[in-house]
Amino acid sequence: MIEVKGVSLRYRDGTLALNNINLTIGYNELVYITGPSGSGKTSLLKLIMGMEYPTSGTVKVMGQEISEEKSEELRNLRKRIGPVFQELKLVPGRSAMENVMMGIRFLDFSRQEIRSNAAVALEKVGLSHKADSMVENLSWGEAQRVSIARAIARKPRLILADEPTGNLDHDNAVNILNILASFKQKDTSVIIATHATHLIENQKNITIIRMNQGNISVEKRGGEE
Amino acid sequence: MKNFISNLGYFFKEAGRIIFSNKLSNIFTFSGTVLILLILASVVAGWSVSSRLVGMLEEEAEISAFFDEDLDEKEAIALAESLSKLDGVRNARVVDESEAYERMQEILADDAGILELFDDNPFKAYIEIRIDPDRTESIIETVREFKEIEYVRDNKSVLKSINDIIKGIKTVGTLIIFAVGITTVIIISHMIRQGIYNNRDQIQTLRLLGASRVFIGFPFVCVGLFMTVAAGILASFVMAVLIHKGYQIMGGSIPFIPLPPMAELLLVVILVIMGVSIILGTVGSLFGLSSIKDQ
Repeated sequence: MIEVKGVSLRYRDGTLALNNINLTIGYNELVYITGPSGSGKTSLLKLIMGMEYPTSGTVKVMGQEISEEKSEELRNLRKRIGPVFQELKLVPGRSAMENVMMGIRFLDFSRQEIRSNAAVALEKVGLSHKADSMVENLSWGEAQRVSIARAIARKPRLILADEPTGNLDHDNAVNILNILASFKQKDTSVIIATHATHLIENQKNITIIRMNQGNISVEKRGGEE
Repeated sequence: MKNFISNLGYFFKEAGRIIFSNKLSNIFTFSGTVLILLILASVVAGWSVSSRLVGMLEEEAEISAFFDEDLDEKEAIALAESLSKLDGVRNARVVDESEAYERMQEILADDAGILELFDDNPFKAYIEIRIDPDRTESIIETVREFKEIEYVRDNKSVLKSINDIIKGIKTVGTLIIFAVGITTVIIISHMIRQGIYNNRDQIQTLRLLGASRVFIGFPFVCVGLFMTVAAGILASFVMAVLIHKGYQIMGGSIPFIPLPPMAELLLVVILVIMGVSIILGTVGSLFGLSSIKDQ
């Protein structure tokens, strides 16, 4: 699903965010990207999402190379991704339902499917009762779940979540990770960037990508969950 | 396309949100657009009235060609026919001595008695040639070249004045329409740019989620259209009231200005203003939308 070959990413200010990374992620994988702040977790996710372009090397996601010149292909690729942004990126002044629907209106769903997908997604994250609440009136944890609902309502092939447990207490954080992990399916992979390594200590059947100063090490952890 | 149509309700709702999210600024934009369209409506109304006036003045542009007295009536009529075929000549007809005498009687009105001092009719027959005022010079030259024509009375200064008035009205009208068009496009595109700036986070999110430029931009095009069309409706309404009042005043006091029928004038003004509103709203929105690229 994702092929990263010899990728380095250097920002305009000279910061080297990723240093010659090689990585392969297949379908039906649950991947955690861990590491301290500034280790390059978000940069790697941004590359996969096409929000940044590699300074050198190649990134291919679902067969599509991430390149600035291929904006139309990139747009189509993004349609197959369900992103959960670190800063949530919910639209204020709209209800939870409207935010989820807004994220799928331009996909190939009928009007009825848009509404039903959004309703089902909110139900899955346990927020049906807050569907009509304005997002600015929700707690951070609830807003986080709306963001996840927006991602999963799109029926994506790849879910990318950047620090979805930030600012949450332990129980809510575990709950969020469990919700995200439950979407790992036959043709869907889930990639979660988090610095809360203690939350995944006992998880099985996962891939852990440890990042430190732009370098990575990969651990495949098998066994029953 | 199916997806686009099923989202029409969403687009209109978003357009409403964009308008009401920045009320004060949009009220100023709306007011400015109404005033500009009102100026345009005035120009269109003035243009319509002056076109009628110009048409009349153009109809009146004529020269008189005096011919050899030896020509008999048939030959004079044949000459008039030849002249009427010239480029720029609307028509040409023979005015015989008695008609020339009657015309002068009409002109002199109360002083017509002076004509009775003459034993014989002092007026000569001539050919009255109605012409395109734009081509006065060349027509006079051509008419003079006919050997049967003795001389041409051309009223050049009057014809030149008519021509200058026509050109002036057309030039000023064109300039105002051009200025109004550009100003409206600038105002609307600025409003759209501001709307895009205010909603930049939402636009950025939609782009990251894979929304197309059309999906993101269409609500903004709707905003531009709503604002200009609403401004056009208000401007048309105000203009209709003004035209109604104007007809009441001018119809009686300035009878020599040939006003077109009020319903016809109103129809022209409303059609032009609404058409221009739609076009300028769309163009202004698209100009403004081009700034999405800069986000």
